[in-house]
Amino acid sequence: MKIKLCMLTIVMLAIWGMKRYYADARVDDLWWILSPTARLAGSMTGAAFGMAPGEGYFSHERLFLIEKSCAGINFMIAAFGMVTFALVHRVGSGLSVVRVLGVSLLASYSAAVLVNAARIAIALWLAAHPIAPSTFTSAQVHRLEGIVVYFGGLVLLYELVQRFDRGIALTRSEP
Amino acid sequence: MNGAMWPTVLQAFRRATPPLAWYYAITLALPLANGAAQAGVAFVEHAMVVLVLPPVLIVLACAAYEGARVLPCGTTGCGMTVTEEPHKRSHRLPL
Repeated sequence: MKIKLCMLTIVMLAIWGMKRYYADARVDDLWWILSPTARLAGSMTGAAFGMAPGEGYFSHERLFLIEKSCAGINFMIAAFGMVTFALVHRVGSGLSVVRVLGVSLLASYSAAVLVNAARIAIALWLAAHPIAPSTFTSAQVHRLEGIVVYFGGLVLLYELVQRFDRGIALTRSEP
Repeated sequence: MNGAMWPTVLQAFRRATPPLAWYYAITLALPLANGAAQAGVAFVEHAMVVLVLPPVLIVLACAAYEGARVLPCGTTGCGMTVTEEPHKRSHRLPL
């Protein structure tokens, strides 16, 4: 119990730290997440994203900028917290804390890059194929799309983690 | 909404509670704690959309799932043979 509380404290501090880091970071500091996201979004859509120092990653032919607010850090933080809490029952020793934190970090980072790239690819498609222009502005469509993709991504990630968790439990229970 | 859909919706909400809670925590609770409410109407409008859309998506996903489940196999291509009894169908949720 004590070790679980200790891990949850570490997680809450890490979330607070990531939020602080994100608030203070310049767009160039976020290369570690923006660069793979831009590359993946580029390979999904065929758009070429180049780094624009101080601005983000820009596609000249699509006139689309992946800026700081598009980094998906909030999604990564939510995913990290969610995965850690989903796996907290596996914690029993110092080593298992490191393992759960490592898996959570890796899963949240990978999911953030993948989901964010998908969101950007959909945004590029929506920009090229505007739907119901009289009902929603492009900013509203972008916001709605962000909510759908990010929340859907969290639900899918949670399902994957649950299956992975059940899979481990089944493997261990086999003779 | 069909009354028979409620158990599916409730179960879907139960399963989606952790992602929903974390989504709300990061998109609403943390910004509120950091004073986002000072932005006034803009934040309230944003918060309303963020608050309402995920539950709507869950209900829509359930409706789509229930709709697909009641369709005859021939139209969905689900691969079930006609000899299978309806109660043997899988009742897994879409979420």
